[in-house]
Amino acid sequence: MSAFTPTVMSAAGLHKRFGGQIILNETAFEMRQGEVVLLRGANGAGKTTLLNILTGNLEPDAGAISLYTTGREECFQFPRSWARNLNFMDHFTPERIAREGVSRSWQDIRLFPTHTLRDNVALAIQNQTGESPFAVFYKRGQIRAEEAKIAKDADALLAQFGLGGRELSSADMVSLGQSKRVAIARSVLAGAKILFLDEPLAALDSRGIDDVMGLLRRVVDEHKVTVVVVEHVFNIPRVLDMATTVWTIANGRIQIETPAAVGAQGLPTESDGVRPWLRQLAGSGGQVVERQLPGGALLSHVALKPGAAEPALDVKDLVVRRGRRPVIGTPSADGQEVAGLSFALPQGSIGVLQAPNGWGKTTFLEALSGVIPIARGSIAIDGKAVHDRPTWDRIGRGLGILQSRDNVFPNLLVDEAIKLAGVPEVPEHIKPFLGRRVAALSGGERQNVAAVCALYARPNAVNVLDEPFGMLDAKAIGRLQSEIVARNSGATLMLLPAASN
Amino acid sequence: MNYLLHLLIFLDIYVIVALSLNVIVGYVGLLTLAHAAYFAMGGYAYALVSLLLGWEFVPAAIAAILFAVALSFALSLASWRLKGDFFVLFSLAVQVAVYTVLWNWRKSGAQPGTWENLTNGADGLNAIAKPEVFGYKFTAIDETAVLFTVVMIVVALATRLMLTSPWGRMLKAIRDDELAARGLGKDVRVVKMQAIGVAAALAGFAGSMFASYMAFINPMSFDLNQSIMLLSMIIVGGVGNAFIGPFFGALILIAIPEALRFLDLPLVVAAELRLMVYGLLLIVMMRWRPQGVAGSYRME
Repeated sequence: MSAFTPTVMSAAGLHKRFGGQIILNETAFEMRQGEVVLLRGANGAGKTTLLNILTGNLEPDAGAISLYTTGREECFQFPRSWARNLNFMDHFTPERIAREGVSRSWQDIRLFPTHTLRDNVALAIQNQTGESPFAVFYKRGQIRAEEAKIAKDADALLAQFGLGGRELSSADMVSLGQSKRVAIARSVLAGAKILFLDEPLAALDSRGIDDVMGLLRRVVDEHKVTVVVVEHVFNIPRVLDMATTVWTIANGRIQIETPAAVGAQGLPTESDGVRPWLRQLAGSGGQVVERQLPGGALLSHVALKPGAAEPALDVKDLVVRRGRRPVIGTPSADGQEVAGLSFALPQGSIGVLQAPNGWGKTTFLEALSGVIPIARGSIAIDGKAVHDRPTWDRIGRGLGILQSRDNVFPNLLVDEAIKLAGVPEVPEHIKPFLGRRVAALSGGERQNVAAVCALYARPNAVNVLDEPFGMLDAKAIGRLQSEIVARNSGATLMLLPAASN
Repeated sequence: MNYLLHLLIFLDIYVIVALSLNVIVGYVGLLTLAHAAYFAMGGYAYALVSLLLGWEFVPAAIAAILFAVALSFALSLASWRLKGDFFVLFSLAVQVAVYTVLWNWRKSGAQPGTWENLTNGADGLNAIAKPEVFGYKFTAIDETAVLFTVVMIVVALATRLMLTSPWGRMLKAIRDDELAARGLGKDVRVVKMQAIGVAAALAGFAGSMFASYMAFINPMSFDLNQSIMLLSMIIVGGVGNAFIGPFFGALILIAIPEALRFLDLPLVVAAELRLMVYGLLLIVMMRWRPQGVAGSYRME
């Protein structure tokens, strides 16, 4: 980045603490137009806290944030004086920061589900005449003309982002990858000068990652937007390809590095992390058994120890529907017949089911746990059919589930969550979190607690783990891999997005 | 015939109240139990200015609207910070407070409408002026029915215009995800204040229609049961669209007690049965059709 490139945002002396824990300490940075920043750090380092502060969702305890996105400097000093807080128009809020040209995306995307894609994008446009309740009575013509232009602009942008023809689709009916593209389109149309992206590649398959990365390149090149990306350790190599700067948060401060220097450190990718791990588990004499499943999914498993002849998990001819549409199960060409999903996981094995977005991983997990009914087929654990049993009974029969999201009770103390799960002894790496509320932990720390609750409570016949490595740093991933092996009393199945190789 | 016209007038009034409640519940996503209080504010404001100042329908109704809008700030300010159950509890507090004031602002022997005996308590206010528009007095029931039906259609069209405009789109976005809307620069506090103000204005206007038609009001017409009945109207009819859901809700909830009349039951039994039917209807709707008869939004 040239020294002459204008600065769009800077911060100095940012402090933030939660309880007694210091998250940010004298944090300072300067961000320039068109810069692509990768923000990384260990679990609990303060990535999301910094992102929340810079987008107006959280006030720092002290420090200053300056914005230059509107051509003049807008400086927010903290702590704010009581006199400034009396002025309702001068609060440090997400809407205020958004109007200054700072936009963000969330891990869970947060499209407006009852709106069409066009409306999701149209809503981003600032200062619309029709957003006053009474304007429709005296500025009807102006509103109509403005709405026609907004619809045209929104449709053009959606087409540019590969969503042409989907303008009138409801936002809750599009795939994960498409939702992420709409979220970015929304920020662009909002006139974002700075775009903060919280794990934009999370849960995407290889094709989805390529789509989103291509889109981000266009946003930077064509719209001159400054982008800050927080990304999971497995996806960091993908972001490094386009990053111009890397911010590493450690001990509350930002260390600025070049992408080349970070790349030279040898970062893991998801395929590096999971499939070679299986090969390593198989050892020199073992074998990783791979089987293609319908819909582009790949089931890989390795037998760690010879077990009983009965499979630990046996899925036969499974069909699960959402409404009338089969989500699990492949319809024939004429749509008359549906071929069910069948596979078995032997005793003592560790398996990975890698499937593209939209394959139905979440639906499969819900059907397996009994949250939704199956339309046809059978599910057996240790040779006993469980598909007609309620969820609590399936858990009692040895099914262990770790969901990818909402997997811990946020309002419990960590101690209570651990006791509720029935974990007999608190592992060392969880002890620092005792006494804290789960909601106060970072995303990675919560995932650590959730994994302990799922794996340490009791030996299960089958553990099913949905994206267990999400939000974890490299150290935590290594530890979880060891825990999965150590606690694999029956079989373990991990559900992951499809990898590129 | 008069009986049917009477029902039509009630339908006109309650469709407007249901439309107004739909703005808060169906478009902002806040469940409120204070709506009968706004309805009451309109009714009492209309009654007092017409009784004490002799104002005719239009200016008195405007006063009723302004009064209800002023009270709406209590709910708006609460909506800035409170969500879910706490907002419901706050709205319950507003409802109870208003009802208590209406019930207790009385002094034996003092003239109704004076500062000492403003509401006349349980005895209420009577001899309220019938609707009079530009000097023409609507005394006959058929004339009132025509006037109120026209008014209801105009109000429904105006509400529809507002709710299908970009403002309505923004309300639905806030209902779906408030934080995401704020992240797009929408001033959620102002928008909620506008929506609750509009809803209170409509409820206040309906209150003035009610007072002018009945020529008598007392607090019992605006108690907590009334708020629950209004909420039932839009749960049964459905929320999230600009007219059809609230219309069906008002129609069904007005039709039920009238249908029970034909069973020739003792009055006390009919009243209890009516409550049972309301309860049953709510259970059936929540279990099998949570979006209501004709709603576009499924309440969680």
